[in-house]
Amino acid sequence: MKKKHFTDLLPDYLDGLLDDIQKKQVETHLKKCAACTKELESLIVLFNSFDAEKELEPSDALKSNFYEALEQEKQEHSKVIALNSKIQSGKNPWMPNLLKIAASVALLICSFMLGKKQQEQKATTEIAALIDESLHIKQTAMLSLMENKSASRRIQGVNFIEEFTNPDETIVAALADRMLYDENTNVRLTAAEALLGFTASETVISAYISALKTEKDPGIQIAVIQILVQIQEKKAVAPLQNLLLKDDTQPFVKKHIESLLPSII
Amino acid sequence: MKLLKITVLTCFFCATINAQEDYTKALGGIEWVKIASNANVTVKTHSSNELLIKVGSSYKTPERAKGLKLVGEGGSDNTNVGFYVIKEGNNLIVRNLRKSKAAEIYLPASQNISVKTNWQGNIKIVGFKGEIEASAELNGSIGIEDVSGPITVNSLNGQIEVLFAEVSQSSPITINTINGAIDITLPENTPANLSLGSLNGDIYSNFELPTLEKDGLKSIGRSKIKSSINNGGVKISLSSINGSIYLRKN
Repeated sequence: MKKKHFTDLLPDYLDGLLDDIQKKQVETHLKKCAACTKELESLIVLFNSFDAEKELEPSDALKSNFYEALEQEKQEHSKVIALNSKIQSGKNPWMPNLLKIAASVALLICSFMLGKKQQEQKATTEIAALIDESLHIKQTAMLSLMENKSASRRIQGVNFIEEFTNPDETIVAALADRMLYDENTNVRLTAAEALLGFTASETVISAYISALKTEKDPGIQIAVIQILVQIQEKKAVAPLQNLLLKDDTQPFVKKHIESLLPSII
Repeated sequence: MKLLKITVLTCFFCATINAQEDYTKALGGIEWVKIASNANVTVKTHSSNELLIKVGSSYKTPERAKGLKLVGEGGSDNTNVGFYVIKEGNNLIVRNLRKSKAAEIYLPASQNISVKTNWQGNIKIVGFKGEIEASAELNGSIGIEDVSGPITVNSLNGQIEVLFAEVSQSSPITINTINGAIDITLPENTPANLSLGSLNGDIYSNFELPTLEKDGLKSIGRSKIKSSINNGGVKISLSSINGSIYLRKN
C-alpha cells in the first residue's frame, strides 16, 4: 500500500477549515506518520510566529499627509460637474431623444438656409452680371443712336442717359460732344439739359463753359446760363461777362445774364 | 356730257404742258431729302417715288438773264427751275437758288425730309408719315399738318404749328423756338410723356395735366412742366423762350 501523506491539507487542518471526515483522516494519519507530525509541528511554529508578529500601524503623520494630499487633489479638480446629471435627473425619459431630434432638425434647417443663401448670392451675382451686360448694351445703343442721321434718333440716344445712374466718362464725353457740335439745335439743347445731372464731372463743367463761348442759339445759351447759375459755377463768370459785351448776343439773353450774374458773384 | 369731257381733256392737256416745265428726279436709294431755301417752301406728298419741283406758269427767266445760268450759294441751277439738286451719299440735297421765289415740292409720303429756311422763308409740310426735320433759322414760321412724326422742329422768330394725325411712338418729338409761339394739336388718345417749358411765355392746354383747371385753355405756369397723358409714351418736348405754348387735343 502506497503511503499517502496529507501535507497539502495540513495548513487547512490547522486553520480548522476541513470537514469532519477529512479532519478524522488527517488525525489518524498523523498518529502513524512521523514525517507529517513533524511537518505539522513546523507549521504550528510558523503560524505562531505569524501571530506573534505585531501588526504595523501607519503613523498619524502619514495619515494626515494623505488626507492633506487628498484635499489638495480635490481642490484642484473641484468644479467637476457631471454633463448628463441634469438630463438624467429629468423626469421625462424622452427628453434626450427629443433634444436630439430637435438638434437634427435645426441642423437640417441651418444647412438648408445656408444652401439657399449661397444660391441667392449666386443668383444676385448673376443678376448683377446681367444688369452689367444690359448696361453695356444700353451704352453701345446710346453711343450708336447719338451718331444716327436722324435728329430724333440722336435725341433718343441723348435721352438714354436717364437709364444710367453712374455713366462712365465715354458716355459723358459723347453727350458733351452732342451739346457742343451737333448740327441740330434741338439735339444740342436736349444734350445740354441731359448733362445737368452730371455737373460733378469736370468734363461737363468745361463743356458748359465752352458752350457759353461757342453757342449762337439763344435758347441753348439761356439753358446753359441757368444750369451754371444753378450750380454756382464760379468759372462761368468771365464767359458770361464776355457774352454781355458781345454785339451778337440777343438783348433778352443779356438781360437774363444781368439778372442772374449777381447770384454767382 | 360732251362739254364735261372736253373740259377734263383740256385740263389734263394743260396740266401736261405745265408738267413739262416741272423738274422730277427718281428717289431710288435716297434715305433723306434735304431741302434748303431762302424763300417759302411747301412740301406735299404724291404717290410716285420721285422728287417733283413744281414751278408753275409764273416761273420766268428774267429778260436780262437770257443765256446766263442762275448761280447761288452751294451750286448753280442744274434743273432749269432755279434749283440745285445733288445726290450726296443717300441724301438728296435740294436747294432753292432764288432768294424770293416760293417753291412747291412733292415727295412720297414715307420719305424722310429735312427742310431748312433762312431769311423770311416760311415752311409748310403736309401729309408725311416719315421723319420730319424743319428749321426756320430767322423769321420764317413753320406749319406742319397731317403728320405722325417723329418730328424735330425749331425756329427763331416764327411761330410753329403742328397738327398730328397720329403720333408715332418710335422716337422723341422736340419743338423749340425762341420768340415764336408753339401751337400743337394731338389726337386725344395719344400716349405721351410731355415736357413743356417757356421762360417768358405762358403755357395753355386742354389736356388733363397736373394743376390744370377744368374747362377751356387755362394758364398753367411759367416753368417746365413734366407730365404724362394716356399713361405715358413717346417723349414730346415743347420749349420756347419768349413765346407761349398751346397744346390742344383733337
